[in-house]
Amino acid sequence: MNPSPPRVLQGVAANLLSEVLPRIPTPFGQQLVGIAAMLDMMVAEEFDRAADRLVTENRIVRELLAAGRDLLGESVPPSVPQALAAPAAASFRVSDLQRENDLLRAALIDLHAAVERTPGDAARDLDERIWAELVESTRRRHLSARP
Amino acid sequence: MEEALARYLAPRLEAADVRVTNLLRIPGGASRETWMFDAEWTDPVGGRQSAPFVLRKDPPASLLETDREAEYAFYSAFWGTDVPVPRMRWLENDPSVLGGPFFIMDRILGCESATARIIAPPYTAVQPKIAENMYRILAAIATFDWRGTGIERVTHVPTPETAWQHELDHWERILDTEAMEPQPIMKAAIRWLRANPPPPAQRISVVHGDYRVGNFLYREDGGIYGIVDWEMAHLGDPLEDLAWSFNQSWHWAKDGRPGGIVDRETAIAHWERYSGLRADPAALYWWEVFSHVKCQGIWVTGARSFAEGRTNELILPLVAYSLINAQDQYLLRTMGRLP
Repeated sequence: MNPSPPRVLQGVAANLLSEVLPRIPTPFGQQLVGIAAMLDMMVAEEFDRAADRLVTENRIVRELLAAGRDLLGESVPPSVPQALAAPAAASFRVSDLQRENDLLRAALIDLHAAVERTPGDAARDLDERIWAELVESTRRRHLSARP
Repeated sequence: MEEALARYLAPRLEAADVRVTNLLRIPGGASRETWMFDAEWTDPVGGRQSAPFVLRKDPPASLLETDREAEYAFYSAFWGTDVPVPRMRWLENDPSVLGGPFFIMDRILGCESATARIIAPPYTAVQPKIAENMYRILAAIATFDWRGTGIERVTHVPTPETAWQHELDHWERILDTEAMEPQPIMKAAIRWLRANPPPPAQRISVVHGDYRVGNFLYREDGGIYGIVDWEMAHLGDPLEDLAWSFNQSWHWAKDGRPGGIVDRETAIAHWERYSGLRADPAALYWWEVFSHVKCQGIWVTGARSFAEGRTNELILPLVAYSLINAQDQYLLRTMGRLP
């Protein structure tokens, strides 16, 4: 088996920092090499988890949209049933999963705004569920390699 | 580029023998390329002259698309005032000279600007003095009488009642146009900002627009000798700059202190004392929430520029990967949704 892409990128970063950076004479050039190494590390982390993150998130956002459709009935924003009716990603390619994610999260914005305007405990509960997912979405995206 | 610069400077320095040396691109400058160089020439009476300069040049694409004439006007308006700025020398809008419009200013020597240096010795010892100077100068910007200066010709003049709305409309439009993914956290914050507007601005002031540690030149004596990067300067509520300086994106020491050099209570006390203005906590909070929206607008603009292939500046994907999600987290923290 080949070394995994994250491992290769980590190796590239290590070489940039230890072998190339010390030989660059200008501050701007040194900054460029440092940035390239940092990007390698972050892309390596994202590469391994991206598909899993998107599959997980798309499922959770679909559940929230369905809950919003049930709560709001006819006053649900049209983007919500449209997103729910759209087919799931055609493959596990990150680009396909990301397109599905964009559609679902755009509908989530409309749903969140509608829920905020809706009185009642059920709406407040859904509002908190949406906020909890938004918080969790940032944990899913957090990169331990970020500077 | 040295020869093109020398040709450009010759008639402006009234010299036929201009020589450009030590041309170096300066790290940072994600919105405009920043270069330093020295020029040597013979003046009309035969004396040898030399001077250090800084050149700010428009890149093909950047974190921001801003008006260089406005930036030049703000710099020029503050020259010779209590707000230290480098002296502006020439503004050139013709892209054929250097491959993009640019302006040239005098270089202030013997200063540091790096955010990594200010949080380490020997600067840690003078952090209180740097911080006091930072907020004293911000107070001078806030109380500057801009009427009758070149600033009036290059920028919109909002009313105290509409300053917040003008800025929020501007940055929401940028977020909507530039973001490559939906921004549910930022959009929730924008709905809150619109539903809870701040009180009218105490006055319409110059707002630097990016006032923070990293955008001024300092020395080991604790003095600040130049405020730079005025590309987002405009007129508006002076609390905008104060709140911006507190944004977590500039907590360089990661210890909760703005800029990594001062606690916010001390910063507010300095600013209030020197400006005579009040930092109303509710209004300041509104501008702090807004500052996250504006930051995100900047980050997503750079991300799109790189993604669409308009530039290969590596700082832009670095900013995207390291700051877009972090900015969402900083906003959630400000709004009490994250510990």
